[in-house]
Amino acid sequence: MPAIQAKGLERRFKGDIKAVDGIDLAIEPGEIYGFLGPNGAGKTTTVRMLVTLLMPTGGQALVAGHDVAKDPSAVRRNIGVALQEAALDPLMTGNELMLLQATLQGMSSKLAKERSVELIERVGLSEAADRRVGGYSGGMKRRLDLAMALVHGPSVLFLDEPTTGLDPSSRFQLWQEVSRLRTEGTTVFLTTQYLEEADQLADRVGIIADGKIVAEGTPDELKRESGASHLEINLAEGCDPSTAHQALAKIGAPEPAAEQRDVRVRLTDENAGVADAVRLLDDAGIMVEEIELVRPSLDDVFMEKTGRHLEGSGD
Amino acid sequence: MKGAQVVPALARRALNEILRVPGAAIPGVLAPTVFMLGISAVFGNVTQLPGFNGLDDYLAFVLPVGLLQGAGFTGAATGVNLARDIEQGWFDRLLLAPVSRPLLLAGLISSASLRALIPTTTLVAVGLLFGVKFPGIVELLIAASLVMLLAACTACWGTIIALKFKTQQAAPLMQIGSFVAVLFTAAYAPKQMLQPWLKGVATVNPVNYVLTGVRQGFIGNVTWADTWPAYLAAFALLTVLASFAIRGLMRMGR
Repeated sequence: MPAIQAKGLERRFKGDIKAVDGIDLAIEPGEIYGFLGPNGAGKTTTVRMLVTLLMPTGGQALVAGHDVAKDPSAVRRNIGVALQEAALDPLMTGNELMLLQATLQGMSSKLAKERSVELIERVGLSEAADRRVGGYSGGMKRRLDLAMALVHGPSVLFLDEPTTGLDPSSRFQLWQEVSRLRTEGTTVFLTTQYLEEADQLADRVGIIADGKIVAEGTPDELKRESGASHLEINLAEGCDPSTAHQALAKIGAPEPAAEQRDVRVRLTDENAGVADAVRLLDDAGIMVEEIELVRPSLDDVFMEKTGRHLEGSGD
Repeated sequence: MKGAQVVPALARRALNEILRVPGAAIPGVLAPTVFMLGISAVFGNVTQLPGFNGLDDYLAFVLPVGLLQGAGFTGAATGVNLARDIEQGWFDRLLLAPVSRPLLLAGLISSASLRALIPTTTLVAVGLLFGVKFPGIVELLIAASLVMLLAACTACWGTIIALKFKTQQAAPLMQIGSFVAVLFTAAYAPKQMLQPWLKGVATVNPVNYVLTGVRQGFIGNVTWADTWPAYLAAFALLTVLASFAIRGLMRMGR
């Protein structure tokens, strides 16, 4: 049985606004699922429904085998959640927050203390654990939030834009933690605006736009669907582009480029690369100044499916 | 027993603010204290009127009003803090816990009840300092327990408003509830001296029975006739307000 399953999941708000418009999901246990979309696409609304904070107005969703609408308590017992803003009481210390979270999860005092020490150490906050959270950096807060979400050993973890606003180093640290969860068999539902994050971490990616899932698959599958890699070639001065086109036709489909001396080749041969192109051009007596292999990115996929770039694609 | 752990844990978290930012408790203590002293200083001689039946200490008469106002401030603070928690996302964390909604409410209002002991202690101490006779241990315990119950009621009111508007900007609404409820009682004069319309309101106002229960030890002897209606009124009010607060909690996210 999938760890997260949704059929026709829908949420309408006042004024008949459909924030989520009948999405289907089937996420297997142990999978890291990246949920991509721009602001306002429906990512957070979907997460809030799956974690029982928001009641669906249509369709059905099962998380850890329990219906989010009919048995929300059972869902809550089995999930860990780190929402978009790491909502932490600034007056409490890291340790106090861990223990409170464990108590809310119904853990015994002894087990709560053991798990708190273990997780605080794991996220690298041992030295700061007795300091008030108000003095933590953004990255420290996010790591504490993650540790709190894991305190009761949930089988499904929801991370809603866990690295938004973090510096690259803090982001990398959090990625490492999420990668580690994969090895422990935790199912992770990760919403993000960062394509690189989805590319690095997710086993599968779903792209949501205007409340609908417009593409789904592994990052590689989606990139392949989006089109082949291509070569961007800058010829040396005096070289004839048409001769280059003829030579490169063996490995792909040359396309006109913006500049006279530039050649763009969409590769039809998946195994072909820079070395093949250089050899063919050399055989034809064409000198190359610059050559670059450009692979399709998730941003290309996103652009193709939604007609726009993702905000975080430049990060 | 999950509830046995969750309620004190939530109450502890709410009380943390008082321990770590003691200034947060000052308005709830200072306002009723100043009000009590000011009113008794201005209207102290009003006890010479026949309706007071020979009572000579007006400060002892209005001290219980200050105690109820302190409870009102505490309850409103609980509502404001909840609204802040909703705004900042902390409340989502509580809603995500596999804890029943009545237990969450119990955590919130138990902290208000405990916090109400701060203005209660201060006001009684100030009253004693200004000449109010010590009412007795049992009398004080009855007064304190009724004040704690009323603080729980006003915390429920604050919770209802916070859940409805989800913003700290609704704070005036949280405060006005207890302010009006305490004002429309025999707060500053015996009931028989009130205007007929106010006398009618005070007769049906449950807070008036609570006030009578709190006041009895300060101006005379504790009687069963004044005690049971006070507890009945407080529990009835708490039941009604808590039902609405739980309803509000259950409706979150719908």
